[in-house]
Amino acid sequence: MEPATSSRQRLPDTSALQLTRRRLLGTGLALGLGGFLAACSGGQPNVLASPEGPPQSGGTLRVGLSGGGAADSLDAHSPVSTTDIARVVNLYESLLYRDENYELQPLLAVSATPSDDALVWTVDLRKGVTFHDGRPLTGRDVAATFKRITDPDDPKTGASSLSVLDEVAVINDHRVEFRLNTAAATFDDSLGQYALGIVPEDYDPATPVGTGPFKYQSFTPGRSSLFVRNENYWRDNEPYLDELAILNFDDDDALINALLSTQVDAVGQIPLALLEVIDADPRISILNSETGMWMPFTMRVDKPPFDDNRVRQAFRLAVDREQMIEQVLSGNGSIGNDLYSPFDPGYASKLPQRVQDIARAKELLAEAGYPDGLSVELVTAPIQAGAVEAAQVFAQQAAAAGINVKIRRVDTTTFFGDGYLQWDFAQDFWYTRNFLPQVNNSSLPTAPYNETHWDHPEFNELVAQAKGTLDPDKRNELIAAAQEIEYNEGGYIIWGHPNQADAYQQYVAGLVPNRTGLALSGFEFRRVWLGGDLS
Amino acid sequence: MSVIDSPQDIAREVETPPGLLRRLVRQRQAKIGIALTGVVVLLAVLGPLLLPWATGYTSTQFAGRPFQADGLFGTDNLGRDVLSRFLDGGLRLLIYAALATLLGMVLGGLTGMVAAYQGGWVDSIIMRANDVMLALPQLVFALLAITVLGPQGWVLVVVIGITHAPRIARVTRSATVEVITEDFIRAAEMYAVPKWKILVKDVLPNITGPLMVELGLRMTYSIGAVASLSFLGLGMQPPTADWGLMINENRIALVVQPWGVILPVLAIAVLTVGTNLITDSLARASANVNVGATK
Amino acid sequence: MPIILRRLATSVLILLAVSVLVFVATLLLPGDPAQAILGQQATPERLAALREQMNLNDPVLQRYFSWLGGLFVGDLGISAASGGPVSALLGERIGASLVLLVAASLISLPVGFLVGTYSALRRGRTGDHVTTGVSLVLAALPEFVIGIALITLFSTTVFPILPSVTMAPPGEAVWNYPLQLVLPTLTLVLVVTPYITRMMRATMLEVLDSGYVEMARLKGVPERQVILRHALPHALSPVAQVVAIQLAWMAGGVVVVEFLFRYPGIGQALVDAVANRDVQVVQALSILIAAVYIMVNLLADMVGILTNPKLRTGGTR
Repeated sequence: MEPATSSRQRLPDTSALQLTRRRLLGTGLALGLGGFLAACSGGQPNVLASPEGPPQSGGTLRVGLSGGGAADSLDAHSPVSTTDIARVVNLYESLLYRDENYELQPLLAVSATPSDDALVWTVDLRKGVTFHDGRPLTGRDVAATFKRITDPDDPKTGASSLSVLDEVAVINDHRVEFRLNTAAATFDDSLGQYALGIVPEDYDPATPVGTGPFKYQSFTPGRSSLFVRNENYWRDNEPYLDELAILNFDDDDALINALLSTQVDAVGQIPLALLEVIDADPRISILNSETGMWMPFTMRVDKPPFDDNRVRQAFRLAVDREQMIEQVLSGNGSIGNDLYSPFDPGYASKLPQRVQDIARAKELLAEAGYPDGLSVELVTAPIQAGAVEAAQVFAQQAAAAGINVKIRRVDTTTFFGDGYLQWDFAQDFWYTRNFLPQVNNSSLPTAPYNETHWDHPEFNELVAQAKGTLDPDKRNELIAAAQEIEYNEGGYIIWGHPNQADAYQQYVAGLVPNRTGLALSGFEFRRVWLGGDLS
Repeated sequence: MSVIDSPQDIAREVETPPGLLRRLVRQRQAKIGIALTGVVVLLAVLGPLLLPWATGYTSTQFAGRPFQADGLFGTDNLGRDVLSRFLDGGLRLLIYAALATLLGMVLGGLTGMVAAYQGGWVDSIIMRANDVMLALPQLVFALLAITVLGPQGWVLVVVIGITHAPRIARVTRSATVEVITEDFIRAAEMYAVPKWKILVKDVLPNITGPLMVELGLRMTYSIGAVASLSFLGLGMQPPTADWGLMINENRIALVVQPWGVILPVLAIAVLTVGTNLITDSLARASANVNVGATK
Repeated sequence: MPIILRRLATSVLILLAVSVLVFVATLLLPGDPAQAILGQQATPERLAALREQMNLNDPVLQRYFSWLGGLFVGDLGISAASGGPVSALLGERIGASLVLLVAASLISLPVGFLVGTYSALRRGRTGDHVTTGVSLVLAALPEFVIGIALITLFSTTVFPILPSVTMAPPGEAVWNYPLQLVLPTLTLVLVVTPYITRMMRATMLEVLDSGYVEMARLKGVPERQVILRHALPHALSPVAQVVAIQLAWMAGGVVVVEFLFRYPGIGQALVDAVANRDVQVVQALSILIAAVYIMVNLLADMVGILTNPKLRTGGTR
C-alpha cells in the first residue's frame, strides 16, 4: 500500500500563455444526467446537477480527497498534496488564476500589463478586498507575499517559476510593478499559480489568513479541515455554503465507500475504471473533465539504449495509444501525440498523429543493433492513479515489437528518492501546463525536473526566442517548431491525456468541468451550493 | 497473521505410534478438510494449464474495458478476464506459502531441537533470541523488510518463514525435551553416535506428531500472511497473476464488480478452512491413539 | 519472588534487543527521510539543513543512544512528516486504537467464555458441533477476508446500513460516532473470539473430567453450582494465557483492520510512517507494540506462576 500516493504529485500550476483558441469539451463524454454545455466566454457556467433555480445558501459541504498525510499544511505557499491544494485554493487567492477553460482570468488583480520590452509588468489590484481579519488588501501585502515566496533561504513552491523576478515595487495601495531581470512575454502566466496566494504582510501560517471565500476554523494534518464562510467575501452572494469540510482519505475504495454511503457529499478524482458504474447509481453525479494532464514514460536520451533516437522512436511506435486509453483510462482520455501542453495556442496540432506500427518499430530496432529485440527495466510506482496500470499495458504491447519490459514496482517514496530523475526508463505525471512553463520545468538543461536529460541546442534556442516574443502569432510559430523537434527526437512517450473525473451527490450544485486537472472544478467551492432540504 | 499457538498445544505428545495418517483420514472432519484443500489446490495447479483453452484469454491479455461484466466473471482493473487471472493466480500463492512454511519448519525445527538437545547456554541463547523475535511485531517486521528489500516473491517467503521460526522452535523444543530423556537416546549416546545422527534418526521420528500439527497450522497462517501482505500492497510485482494481488487491484470495485475480489477471497477462505480442518484433525489424531476408531 | 524478578529482567533485556533491531531496520529503509519530507521541492540547502536538524549526520551509535535515552524520558523525537513531537502525534492515535481494542475485548471475552463453556457442556451434541465448526472456520479466515465480507454484507450491497469507513471531524474523537465503530470492532471480534472459544472449550472439558468436579457431583452439588463454583474458576487461569496472546496480537495486528476501515489508529499511522520514511514514528510504534506484547505476556506468566504452586519453583515454560 502506498497511502501517500498523491503526496508528491507534480503540482499543477496555472501559468500559461493566453488562450486564443477555445476548445469545447468533447461531446462524447459519458455524463451523468443530460449533457452539459461548456462554459461560454464571460457567461456564468452551466450546471449539470439536478438542483434547479437560483442558488440556495447554507449547509456544509463535505469533500473527500485521497492523498495527503501528516505533512499536510495550510501554508499558502507550500501546498504539496491534493488536499493541501484544495485547502489553499479556498483560503487564499492569487493575482490571476486559470479558469475552467484554462484561460487566464483576473482574481485579486484587475489587470496585468507588460512594458514594451517585457521587463516590467504593472499589476492593478482589485479594490475593496479585505483579509479574513478585516484589514484591506494593499500593494504592500503583495510585495511581502512575493518576498516570502522567493526568500533565498527558504524558497517556496512557486519560486522556481519566478526566477526572472527581481523585485516587486509598491507604486500605491492598489498598484504594484513586477521588475524582471529577463524579458518574459508570458509573466502573467506565472502569476496565475494557486501557490501564489496573497497574504498579509505579517503572515504566519499558524493563523492562516487570506482573502479567500472561506475562513479557517480547524485543521488536523492528515485527517480533515473545517472552514467557514467568509461573510465579507468580495464577490456578490458567494460563497453559498456555511461550512466546508475537507477530509483526507488514504485509498480510493474508502473514498468511494464514503461517497456511496453518503458520508461525504463530493469526492475528487475517482478511478476512471469505476466511472461508468458509479455513474449508474442514480444518487450520484459525475464530473468528467477533459484535461491537459499527461502520464509519460520517460526515456533518458543520454543513456543506452535510449541515447539512440531509433530506439526511442521504436518505443513510441510500439504503443497502441487507443488501447492504452481503453485499458488504463476506461476510454476517458484524449489521445496523445508525444507532445505536452495540448491547450497551448502554439500546440503543434498539424503534426500527424503517431499510431502503433510494430513492423516499423522492429525495423528501427534492427537498425539500432537490436535485430532480436531487447530487454529493458521500467521503474513504476503508484505516483498517480493508472501509472502502474499503464506500465503493465505498455509491457504487454511492447512485447509484440520484441521489447521485453520488466516492470519494477517501487513505493512512491523510493520512486521520488535518490533514483528520481536518474531512472533510465520510468514514468511521471504532470498536470495541465502551457508549453513555456512546462519546458521550464522539464525540458531544458536548467529545468529542475529534466527527467529525460533532454538538452537540444536548436530546441533551447527556439524556446529562448519564444520567451522574449510579445507577439502571440510569432511566439506560437516558435513553439510549434520547438514541439516538432521533440516529436521527432524527444525522450517522452506521451500516449494520452487522462480525464479528471469526480463524483458528487445529486443535491450538490455548481460544479463544472475544469481543464486544469485540479479536481472538483479546480476546488472552487465558492460556487457550490446544496439543493433540496438542508435540515 | 495472528500468532496463536493454541489449541494445538494440547497435542504435544511424545509417542507417535504408526498410523498417524490413517487415524487422520478416518475422521470426517479431516475428510472435509482434505476435500476443500484438494479442490483449491487442484484449481491452482490445473488453472494455468487450462488457459487460454477454458476462457479464451491468457492472464495478461485484455478482454475489454476495466470492470465490465464481459465473460463469466467480468474484467479486472485493467480489462483482463477475471476468470483467467483467477485460474492463473493460485499456484504462486500456494508455492510461496508452502516455501515459507518449509523455511519456518527447517529454521524453527533445527533451532528448537538443538536448543533442547544441547541445553545449557546454547538453549538459553536460542530461546532468548526466540523471545526477541516473538516480541518484534510480525507486521512491523514484514513492513520494514519488504520496504527495504522490495516486494518480491523470495522476500515474502523469507519474511514469513522467519516470523514462523520462533514459534515452531518453541514447540519443537518442548517436544524434544521430553524425548531426549528416553532410554534409547541415552543408549545411542553411550555408543558415541554423532549428535546430528541422534537428532535425525532418533529424535526427529519421535516428534513428528507435534511437528505435523505445527506444519498444518503454519501453512494456514502462511496462506493468510501471503494474502494479507498482498492485500496491503506488499505482495507480488505486477503484471503477475496472483490471488493476493488480485484482491488489492480490484478492491476499489468491490461494490460494483466484486468478482475480482470475491473469487480469490473465496478460494483463500476455502483453502485456509481446509488446511485448518486437517490440522485440527491431525492434532486430535496425534494426541489420541483411539481417534477415529469409533467413527 | 526471585522468579518474577528474573522474568522482569529478561523482559527488559528483550525490549532492549528489540529496540536495537528496530533501529537497525529503520536505518536500512531506502530513500532519505529528509528528501521524503521535503519532496520534489527540496533544494540542496534545505535538505542539508533538515538533515542537520534531524541529526542524520551524527554517528549511528550516538543516534541510537540519544534515541534510547529519549525513550526513557518519554521523548519520542520529532516526527519527520508533521514537524511536531511524535508523542503528540501518536497520543490521539493510541487512544483511538485502544477504544477499538477495548470494545473488541469487552465483547469477545464474555462471548468466548460463554460459547466455549456452552460447547463443552454440550459435548458431542449438535450445539457443540455447530460452535466448534463455526469457530474452526472463522479461525482459519484472514482478517481482511472477514472485513471485506462484512463490508459487502452490511455496508454496500445486501444491507447498506452501516458506514464502512471511519471519519470524525477534526478535534472530535472517534467514539463520538459509535456507528462507525461497529464494523471494525465486529471484524476484530470475529477474528479473536474463535480462539478464546476453542481454548475455553478445551480447558473446560479437561476440568469437567477432573477428579474434583466428579467429586462435587458425587456429593450431590447441583450441576449449576458445580460449573459456576468449581469448574469455571479452574478453567479461567489457563485461558488467561490465550487471552493475553490475543490481546498482544490485536495491538500489532489491527493494522490490516485499520487499513481496511480507514480507522485513525496506530496501525494506520505505522503504515503511513513507513511509506513516508517517518523513522521516528516507525521506531516509537514498533517499540510500543513490542512493549505491549512483552508486558501482556509477563502478566500472563505471573498469573500462571501465582495460581500454580508447581510453577513457582521454576521449570520449563
